Amino acid sequence: MEQSTLTLSDLSRRFGETKAVDRVTLDIAPGQFVGVIGRSGAGKSTLLRLINRLIDPSAGKVTYGGREITGLRGRALREWRRDCAMIFQQFNLVERLDVLSNVLVGRLADHGFLSSMAMRFSETERAEALRALERLDLLPQALQKAGTLSGGQQQRVAIARALVQRPRIMLADEPIASLDPGNATRVMEALKTINREDGLTVLVNLHTLDTARAYCHRIIAMRAGRVYFDGVPRQLTDDVVRDIYGSEGLQEFSEAVTSTAARIKVSA
Amino acid sequence: MSVSDHDLARYRAQMPLAFRPAPEVRLRRAVLWTGFVLLVAWCLYAFDFSPLRIWNGSERLGRVLGFMFPPKVWTEWDEIADIAKGLGETLSMAFLGTLLGAIFAFPLSFLGAKNINRLPFLRFGVRRGFDMIRALETLILALVFIRAFGLGPLPGVLAIAVGEVGVLAKLYAEAIENTSTKPIEGVVASGGSRVQAIRVGLMPQVWPVLLSITLYNFESNVRSGTILGIVGAGGIGFLLADRIGAYRWDEAWSIIFLIIAMVYIIDWLSAQIRSRFIGTWEGAR
Repeated sequence: MEQSTLTLSDLSRRFGETKAVDRVTLDIAPGQFVGVIGRSGAGKSTLLRLINRLIDPSAGKVTYGGREITGLRGRALREWRRDCAMIFQQFNLVERLDVLSNVLVGRLADHGFLSSMAMRFSETERAEALRALERLDLLPQALQKAGTLSGGQQQRVAIARALVQRPRIMLADEPIASLDPGNATRVMEALKTINREDGLTVLVNLHTLDTARAYCHRIIAMRAGRVYFDGVPRQLTDDVVRDIYGSEGLQEFSEAVTSTAARIKVSA
Repeated sequence: MSVSDHDLARYRAQMPLAFRPAPEVRLRRAVLWTGFVLLVAWCLYAFDFSPLRIWNGSERLGRVLGFMFPPKVWTEWDEIADIAKGLGETLSMAFLGTLLGAIFAFPLSFLGAKNINRLPFLRFGVRRGFDMIRALETLILALVFIRAFGLGPLPGVLAIAVGEVGVLAKLYAEAIENTSTKPIEGVVASGGSRVQAIRVGLMPQVWPVLLSITLYNFESNVRSGTILGIVGAGGIGFLLADRIGAYRWDEAWSIIFLIIAMVYIIDWLSAQIRSRFIGTWEGAR
């Protein structure tokens, strides 16, 4: 699938008095793995939702390959959401449905009224969903109820659902924040594989710096709704980090404290 | 470790309310309790509740109960068929009435649910409509329908159905409101339409609850269906009223016993089915 550049120009969103996202301008090149960091409430989540159009902007616009996204409605909007898949911190699966049906939700955008009311999917679509599950090592769980899986498995189901949307961009809103270190690593590895093998642009919100450093080509830091830093992981020095998280008062700022990576300490 | 008198006095001075409620709170309690006692006393007086009346009444009650023994055991096939038909009729009335009610309540409940119907005026109108239907007791509806459609099970079925529309629509709407928005957001974020989000993200969450509510109401309609018979709307209650009217107390007792057995079996069966579908979900009322 042909990939284009995602452009945000002067994108803003206010909730009452608060400017959740404040005049953000960015170009995201095709195939990039971008991490968005920042303290809670910095506007990371709102930014992703604006791109996927779960939220409408107060001002500014989003374009993809020159095509304006912010004005889309109806069928065109649904097709954009299909092309721009999203995974969530809480997975947002239908827990009472089986894993396969949850993955097939990713095909709904192309279904009409009757077939979606009956939840009828073609054999090709089923096979495609199973292939996505196989890629994420979840084939044996395909007929289990989604609610019975562990958090890490549920997040991988959500990634499989995103994959069958045949997206061009993958947005991930704190995908590992509710997971233990082992599962967090599996989920991040899955995103990395998708980015490398399928050439999908990945835009992921993270609250752990070392994860961002380990996986992202480019890191964008937000502070109070604005882009505060935009560069490669190497450029993210201790001083910059302290500014991003507003922890000037702290004597020492340790990345390890926020880390979710599995790490074994070897005593000397 | 014991508290010294000094500490006690200090805490008393610092936080008197931790030891004794404020005067206005004590006054309010006294007033509420006095009002409650006066209300009970007035009711007892107004309805002439004297121990003597209760005593005399229970003597007669004892005689009536005495007539019931031994209960009648039917031997004629005709009579057995008659009673069985009555029981079956009550069951069918409850079943059909609940089903019809559910069919009409289901679409209406969406109009009454906050997370589906975003037009407050329409929603409030629909909700008040449910309330109005629920204010009409099934028995009153039955009396009205008997005038219109004549004696028999039909008015009974209609009475149950109409009453159930009000009850079920309200309970269904609450079940729909009580769902998680996350799966719905997930469907929308994948490119699903609003209708698809409701069908795929919301309905799987509410199905078991709706089924459970409906079965529970079926149970309670089997119970109230016996009363409908007494006013002439068919079923076993009709036969019961007939036997009581003719002072055939032994047969009346047998019928009452059969009703208890039937209600008990239905309760048990539906509880089994409900727990199958819903696990540990607590009933809607």
